[in-house]
Parts: sequence; C-alpha cells; structure tokens
Amino acid sequence: MIMVENLKKEFTYYKKMTGIKGSLHNIFHRESLTKEAVRDISFSVESGEMIGFLGPNGAGKTTTLKILSGILYPTGGRIEVDGFIPWERKNEFKRRISIVMGQKNQLWWDLPASDSFYLNKCIFGVDDGSYRDIITELSELLDVKELLNVQVRRLSLGERMKMEILAALIHRPDILFLDEPTIGLDILSQKKIREFLKIYNEQWKTTVIITSHYMADIEALCDRAVIINQGQLVYDGKLADMNQVLGKRKLLSVKTSEAVDIGAWKTFGMVREVSAAGAVLEVPQEKVKEVLNAVLSELQVDDFTVTEIPIEESIARFYQKEVVMP
Amino acid sequence: MGVFAKYSLMSALEYRINFVAGVTVEMGWMIIKLLYVAVIYKAGTNIGILTPDHILLFVGTYVLMTGIYMLYFGNFVSLPGMVQQGELDLYIVKPVSLQFLVTMRRLDFAFLLPDFVAGVAMIVLGWHLAGLPVGVVPIVGFLFFLVCGCLLTYSMFLLPYILSFWIISVGGIVDISNALWDFNNMPSMMYGKWFRRIGTYILPVFVITNFPGLFLMGELSVWACAWGAGVPVLFFVLSRILWKFSLKKYSSASS
Repeated sequence: MIMVENLKKEFTYYKKMTGIKGSLHNIFHRESLTKEAVRDISFSVESGEMIGFLGPNGAGKTTTLKILSGILYPTGGRIEVDGFIPWERKNEFKRRISIVMGQKNQLWWDLPASDSFYLNKCIFGVDDGSYRDIITELSELLDVKELLNVQVRRLSLGERMKMEILAALIHRPDILFLDEPTIGLDILSQKKIREFLKIYNEQWKTTVIITSHYMADIEALCDRAVIINQGQLVYDGKLADMNQVLGKRKLLSVKTSEAVDIGAWKTFGMVREVSAAGAVLEVPQEKVKEVLNAVLSELQVDDFTVTEIPIEESIARFYQKEVVMP
Repeated sequence: MGVFAKYSLMSALEYRINFVAGVTVEMGWMIIKLLYVAVIYKAGTNIGILTPDHILLFVGTYVLMTGIYMLYFGNFVSLPGMVQQGELDLYIVKPVSLQFLVTMRRLDFAFLLPDFVAGVAMIVLGWHLAGLPVGVVPIVGFLFFLVCGCLLTYSMFLLPYILSFWIISVGGIVDISNALWDFNNMPSMMYGKWFRRIGTYILPVFVITNFPGLFLMGELSVWACAWGAGVPVLFFVLSRILWKFSLKKYSSASS
C-alpha cells in the first residue's frame, strides 16, 4: 500500500547572526545552509495496517507525512502510495488519502462543522446517500451528533478535533495520515478518539499512519512502530519486540519484610530503585531465574513481580540514539 | 464556487456590525470617487474627446471593477501569510484546483455590494447622458470587455502575490501593484501618450477599465480589440504557469 525507499528531504535556509548588526549584514550577504530533515528512510506499510510513527520533536515525522500526502516534494528517493507518486498530486490520488494535523484546521471557523462537511462532500464528489450515512455513523461513533450545528468557534478543542477527523473521512479514504491528532486534548477526549480510530480501522480496513507523543495512543492502536531520530530510521518492528533489540532485559520488583542495604541489592544485579520496602532490579532475561532464586534464598521476600521494561523507556533510548536498529 | 459564495456570505453575516461597517467604508470610498466626477461636471471640462458624461461612464466602470476585484481581494492578501505559516497544506490535498481554492474561497460581499450598485448606476447614467449607442452589439461588446477586464485583473494582480512563494514577504511589491490599480481612477486619456502606451501594452492596467468604454465610443481599432481580448488570456496563462512553478518552492512550515 505504501512503499518508501531511501527518502531524502533537505531544506535550505540562511544563517542569521544575532542582533541588528547580524540583520544588516544579512541584507548584503547571506550564507546558505542545508538541513537534512529526512535521511535515507525506507519502510513499507501493508493495506489495512495501522502503524505508529515515532520520534522526538524535529525528527522528521511530519515532513515524512507531508511528503507521503503530496504536500512536499522530496529531495530524493522513491515513494509509492496506493500506486501513485504523491507529489504528482493527481486528483485520483487525493481522493484516496486524507491527512489530519493536530495543529491545523480545515473547518470554517464561523460556521457549524456540518457546513464544512458539506463543502468537502462537494469537493470530493461524494453522493448524497453515502454522505448522509457517513455523517450519521461517524458522528455517533465520535459522540458529536448534537454538536453538528454549532459554530466551530464555540466548540472545545476536543470537540473540534473530532470534527476535523470526521471532515477528513467524508470521502472514505483508503489511507489516513494522522499527525498528532490528540495533541493538547484532555484524557477523555484522547481516549474517545483512540477508541474511534481503533473501531474505524477495524471496520473499514483503512491504512493508518499516526504520529503522537502520547505513548497511550500508540500502545492502544498500533502493533508496529517506526521510529526516526534526526531524520534517520532507528527502529521498525513490533512494539512488543522493542525490548528485544535493547538487550532483552527484565525488571524484577521485590518486596521484603525488612529493609535491605543497597550494597546487598547490588550483588544481585543493576539496582534501579531502592526503598525500605524493597527494590527494583534490572536483569538480563536469561538470568531472571537465577537472580530470583538467589534473592528468595537470601532475603525475607514478601512478594515479587517480573515485568518488561516500560515502552516509553525503550523509546526514549531510541530517541537518545543509544541504539540503532541492527 | 456557489458554495464558497454562500459560505462567505454566511460567515460575514455572523458578524453583522462588521458587515455593515464594511459596506459603509466601501461607500465612503465610492463617494470620494463620485466627488471627482462632481468636480469635473462643475468645471465642465473635457479631457480630449471625453465629455464629463463619458468620464462618468469610465469612473463607473472603474468602481464596478473595483467591487468585483474586492470580492476576492482578501484571498490574495492572505496568500503570503498562508505560505509563511504553512497553511496551504490542507488545501493541497483537496482534489480541486489549488489556485481556485486559495484565491476564491472567501468572497467579500460587503465590498461588492455598494460598488456594484453605484458602478452600474454610473455606467447606465453616463451611457445615456453621453448619447452612446444602445443595441445588441454595443451591450454585448461592453460586457465582453468587462469580462476580459475581470480576467485580466485577477491574473495580473495575482502575480505579485505569487512571488511570496519565493521571497515570503511581498508587502513592498504588493503596494506598487495596488498603486497601479489606482491609475484607473480617471480615464487613461488624461495621461500622456507614452504613459498610456505603457499602461496598455506593457503593464496593461488601462485595458481593464478603459476598453469597455472606448469600445462603446468606437475608439478601439480592430487590433486594440484583439489585444483587449488576448491579453487577459495571456496573463491568465502566465499566472497559471508561475503558480504551478512556484508551488514546487512551497516548503510548508513547522507544526
């Protein structure tokens, strides 16, 4: 469905020295610089798949989404989206995709959202019957049926975002790009949008690429994550497998009936937390059994649990570029 | 286009006072133009072959054309900002002409309304008082050159705004182009020969508001008629080419 090969995007800009002296200098002489926003990224997405596109601010996520949706021209590389080259901007291609950006809006500010929906219906040439069905179905799913005739400027941020998503789906796109759709929203709105996207994706088999800084979004919606950092791909695989790449480590939380000295904990493995009631140790997966046996035999243990390293932490390590995909 | 017009009017009517203020401001501007004509009538002077009645017709054409230009002018003004802020993103992904979407999405009826009414009234009155011919050919010809003028206005005055894709800030250039528009305040005949030639054949602003009236007066040669019909197409094609070429420069903005 989506194929990206060696994608590159460079932006040129000029150097600005600080202060008025710098500004005057700039009138006569500008030093042109190049920033590589995306460097040699390759990945593919199957039809109906929903992938999380992750990376710290400025990693190149939005730039990549903009290239995939035809908004920007790449500097190099090959891309095919549903059999089309996005930047040729063919109308047939535009009818098959949709993009929602958390920080940009397409709704008419002073009119009810339903008017903007109607405009999209006309632009995309959706017939009356399907248009009515879509509005009824999606407004119920998103819980905004009562708000369709309220001016957009009077809606809350969460309500507006739901309307933006609805507006983007009027033409039933095959592919949906979501750029931080839950940014700035309260927990309930975030949850509602997540639930909606999950149901929508399952029901309509729409291919979705979503970027978000909220791990809850990604964990709830995607099995697979593509992580980029400084324009480069650092991970592409299952969310669940991320830990494997990071060295197959587990967390062993132990509660003891009496306080244990940190020095004693250190003899079992890497200590991540310690308190009077116990400690959290980080140990290689293959040594869990061995360490647990030692702890149980040497200390007065009340309770213990073995867990995976939290996904946020794994991702943070990819962001810090401690690891690069093998 | 119909939906845009309807939505623009609906949006504008959401703010009734602003709408009325818009109409009032435009009426004020128009009255100033009417005063020029009143002065000419009072002085009773002719400009070349133009009597004050002819001048009323020419100024009426100018007022009407200004109203039509003002109808979509706001879109031109917001183009540099949209380029700078990366707001074209969500328009590029729509399966209709981006140029149409961006330049025609908001239509300002508060400006059109007074100019349209006054412009048409001045044209009809001037036409009648000057004793110009009434018939199918003069009316169709006049309307034809009005339409050509509209197309030329759109194409020619869009050009400086398109430059915003390249140089981002276009304030200075836009001011110059707006000043050009005001040369049409009065019939081109009041300017010198060379100035008139430049304004007709190089930067053809005079074609917009003078050709309909000159056609009525039988003052347009066959060549001038061909130029009046061809130059709008020429400029429209030019604006399309520059638009498409410039769009490749669009680099969006951080979000």
